[in-house]
Amino acid sequence: MEKYKISDGKLVSLYKNGSEEAFEQLLYRHKSRIFTTIYLIVKDNYVAEDLLQETFIKAIRTIKEGRYNEEGKFLPWILRIAHNLAIDNFRKEKRYPTVILEDGSSVFNTLRFAEDSVESEHVKQDTHAKLRQLIEELPEAQREVLVMRHYMDMSFQDISESTGVSINTALGRMRYALINLRKKMKQYKIAYDQNIYPR
Amino acid sequence: MIRTFTQDDVIRYVYNETSEEENKEIEKAMLCDPELQMTFKEIRGIKNRLDEAVKSPSDKVTNNILNYSKTLNLLSNK
Repeated sequence: MEKYKISDGKLVSLYKNGSEEAFEQLLYRHKSRIFTTIYLIVKDNYVAEDLLQETFIKAIRTIKEGRYNEEGKFLPWILRIAHNLAIDNFRKEKRYPTVILEDGSSVFNTLRFAEDSVESEHVKQDTHAKLRQLIEELPEAQREVLVMRHYMDMSFQDISESTGVSINTALGRMRYALINLRKKMKQYKIAYDQNIYPR
Repeated sequence: MIRTFTQDDVIRYVYNETSEEENKEIEKAMLCDPELQMTFKEIRGIKNRLDEAVKSPSDKVTNNILNYSKTLNLLSNK
């Protein structure tokens, strides 16, 4: 996880005392990680954006009303809000399924989606989008652990407690998720360079 | 004697969930076990790819959130 000069805790304190700049920093610091977490659960760009707004509205109100627990860490806390909203939405959508296109977006979003076509022209973006699609296609239990461990930065111990399975089961699901992703990445020729990155 | 490590151990290692002691042992084991080393490189490679796959929300949504906060701030100062 990245290290910042001003901690999240300090920014929350400043924000509570009226600093909008502090909130802006918090938002820019974490919005992509939170958005990705939501998106990988709901699999729809526009629903994910709505839920991102809802997540921050809840967070803003909690902080402003003095109900934020100072001892907790901001990112795990807001990620938990996002995760709960996304899971609620996912369950609701399962009861009332919408038509999901190959790219993971709802058929009702096609017109708005077309506006993003400039972005989708870039090969790099396409590769990242494809990878997200591969994550979306993972079995639910594997995707859940992958999102919690990788994007929500929860430990396997936390995941075990949160999902009610043993640590070994959580680890096993993560292993299968990574193996499945590796197979699919090979199939779609998405390179995962094995040598250039440090641990 | 060199300890035997599983794929799950390597996953814990890549995600920084192993102790200092385990790190030393895994690193030592990887030097003698090309298969373990390959597993490590593959998992690390996928992990880095997952980092790159992070998606950003639109500017419109970001601005909506900022505006909501500012409006709330103004209302509470009235």
